[in-house]
Amino acid sequence: MRRLISLSLLLIVALGISLCFSGAYFGAEGANRAGKLAQDRVNFGQRYNSRGLEENGAGNIVASVVVNYRGFDTLGEVTVLFIAAVGLAVVLSTRREKPARVRAEPASLVVFTGCRFLFPLILLLGSYIFIHGHLTPGGGFQGGAVVASGFLLVYLGCRGKGLRSAGFTVTESLSGLAFVVLALVGLAVGGSLLLNFLPKGSALTLFSGGVIPIIYVAIGLKVGSELGSIIANLSGEAP
Amino acid sequence: MAETVYPFADKLRSFLYMLGMSLLVWLALTQSLEAQEVLVGTGACLALSLVLSTHYIRLGLPPLTIKRAVFFAVYLVVLLWEIMKANLDVAYRVVHPRMPINPGVVVIRTALTSDIAKMILANSITLTPGTFTLDVIGDKLLIHWINVKVEEIDAATELIGERFEKYLRVIFQ
Repeated sequence: MRRLISLSLLLIVALGISLCFSGAYFGAEGANRAGKLAQDRVNFGQRYNSRGLEENGAGNIVASVVVNYRGFDTLGEVTVLFIAAVGLAVVLSTRREKPARVRAEPASLVVFTGCRFLFPLILLLGSYIFIHGHLTPGGGFQGGAVVASGFLLVYLGCRGKGLRSAGFTVTESLSGLAFVVLALVGLAVGGSLLLNFLPKGSALTLFSGGVIPIIYVAIGLKVGSELGSIIANLSGEAP
Repeated sequence: MAETVYPFADKLRSFLYMLGMSLLVWLALTQSLEAQEVLVGTGACLALSLVLSTHYIRLGLPPLTIKRAVFFAVYLVVLLWEIMKANLDVAYRVVHPRMPINPGVVVIRTALTSDIAKMILANSITLTPGTFTLDVIGDKLLIHWINVKVEEIDAATELIGERFEKYLRVIFQ
């Protein structure tokens, strides 16, 4: 029964995704829009390059495109990752019997001491990458991946220590919510989703770029906790 | 995992160590002393240290004194020097036509007790070309040696471990 529910849930999600894609590419409206995009696509790059800094205040033009001009697309990407994590959890939960907890051989003293020592510093490096996403190469996804590598290190180095998945779920939900709320506030204030409504600050300083760094921090936390929960799921720590 | 209750002094010390380490790393990453960077960095480091400082308690970090800091600085120089010497030694063995090596595994003993001290000793031995720490079990280190000169435990300890350990004993005990 449980397996049936899980599989039908997966089927519904897959159906929904495929409908989204077919709507975008094969519907009459989609074709129309694609035609329009094809006509003036040349101007996009020029516009981003020439006005991006002035419109968004982010020194890193890629961040300006990813989080603002194409922010809706990024929201979708974050959702894809979320669905992947949910799908994995669903597939893993269909296992009828819990595998007997294998008593893992503890890692060598060198590994687990190094892991204890480095774990906070890896989290700091990840945070540095996503906090500076609007100034330097990298951003929410990259920083999140670095944060998750810290959790992977904990899994490899401190095997006795369970990764608590409740914390992941809360962080992931809150940061995802923060992204959506910021996007909607832009809609309420200026009439367009993800509008950059905060003051832009002076370019190339940390406090610049309006909502971009805030959204990047949210994305970083979300990606980090999501990949962390995937690791926790695969290592069999999650319920 | 059994929860051990640590005295407040230990908690405070590990918190301060983590805060200091992470602030140093943050400053190295940003390479700037602008107020905004330092402010955000301090916030991030404080948050991390508040949540995670229990990780550092079990490392067994000793209280920071000037003597320990000086010895640690000296230790870094000694380590660099030993690495350079061992590099030349291994290079000599590699280019020598008869390749005078005698590889094998020896056991050495350490008087260090805290985890972090043993880790630093093991990693120093690994960083030195020619010797490689395979595992640390209790107070014994399992070493792969490119040119085993002595197999006996005390003599091997004297040759491999002692050159680092005499500094680490002052720093960590």
